[in-house]
Amino acid sequence: MSDIDNLIALYSVIVIALAAIALISFIAVPIGYEDTQIYPKNINTSSSLNPYDRGGEPFGTTEVMAQYPQNSPNLGSVTAYLTPLSALMAVSNLYLGTTIVSHPGGIIDEILYNTRGMDTIVETSILFTAFAIASFLYRREEEK
Amino acid sequence: MFELASSSIGGQALFVLPFGDIVAYFSPFTAALFLFALIFTLVCIYSRPEKSMDIVFGTDALYAKEVTGKDLHFRRFMAIACGIATMGAVTSGDVFNFTLFVSMVGVCIIGITASVKNSQVQNTAFNYGIVAMLATIPLFGAAAITLAATGTLSIWELSAMAPAMPWIARALILVGVMGEGMAPFYVAKAELTRAPGAPYVLMIHVSSLLMFLRVVEIILTV
Repeated sequence: MSDIDNLIALYSVIVIALAAIALISFIAVPIGYEDTQIYPKNINTSSSLNPYDRGGEPFGTTEVMAQYPQNSPNLGSVTAYLTPLSALMAVSNLYLGTTIVSHPGGIIDEILYNTRGMDTIVETSILFTAFAIASFLYRREEEK
Repeated sequence: MFELASSSIGGQALFVLPFGDIVAYFSPFTAALFLFALIFTLVCIYSRPEKSMDIVFGTDALYAKEVTGKDLHFRRFMAIACGIATMGAVTSGDVFNFTLFVSMVGVCIIGITASVKNSQVQNTAFNYGIVAMLATIPLFGAAAITLAATGTLSIWELSAMAPAMPWIARALILVGVMGEGMAPFYVAKAELTRAPGAPYVLMIHVSSLLMFLRVVEIILTV
């Protein structure tokens, strides 16, 4: 335990043990799925945007749920939309949802950027911090 | 001020800052944690780094290990980023937002030690980095289980319907913070803080301590 090289193994054992306890407890006492979800998700397998089709109507008003609607006065007016390229791909085949295409994703953006904007900011901050570390280490190797 | 499901979380709410669904708040407890993180970040901004001394055995000679130049700038930048992430983590009013800030603290801790040219410290930082990556699984798993079982992530709503968070989610979030903050793994922390440059390296201790205090508060509240 006092050896640094055993650190990963030690922590992995803790995580695996907890995961095993979690699995056993889920089998013994199942946790119910709450039906009134604040961020609902429905799988529509016939949609070409599957599994990212979260509903919403382009250029229309879409109902979006929020925990505190009074904090988001513009909720629902940023409607579901695709870029022209994404829309073309969506109508021409069934596999847009499985591609790594950078496109605005309809109602998921509505939730992320309107009611949970802080999360998107922190996520990109984590990425930029990691980039800063990587570029610093790379430049240090160059200077030698 | 708008209506919230619960009027008090761990004491009277002193100040509420709404970011859409994520409502950051100061209770007397989190305000104290925030002030501590703020003061230590200011120390990191304005203080010069310490010079750790090594005595050459058998003589009067002393080595001073100085932190200078780009190394200094980078470590100071990472320490300030770590302080800001800690401030976010102690005031966040949302379980998922809290886990994001905690993983940002983990990345910043790796960044603080990344510039040290000492193989012992580098090896420890590498080991710690893998633990921090592994710790994101229980952290975000806990947030996901909480959302599925209760339908919400806001600590305000969760504390109003307490006890709402499944106990396994509490255990997972605790283990996740243990991995990110290295709370029980003092072997790694002692090796990491062997790096010279005191106020920046000590930010590792401060941030992990504050995160741990906050996660205990969250577990007791929700």
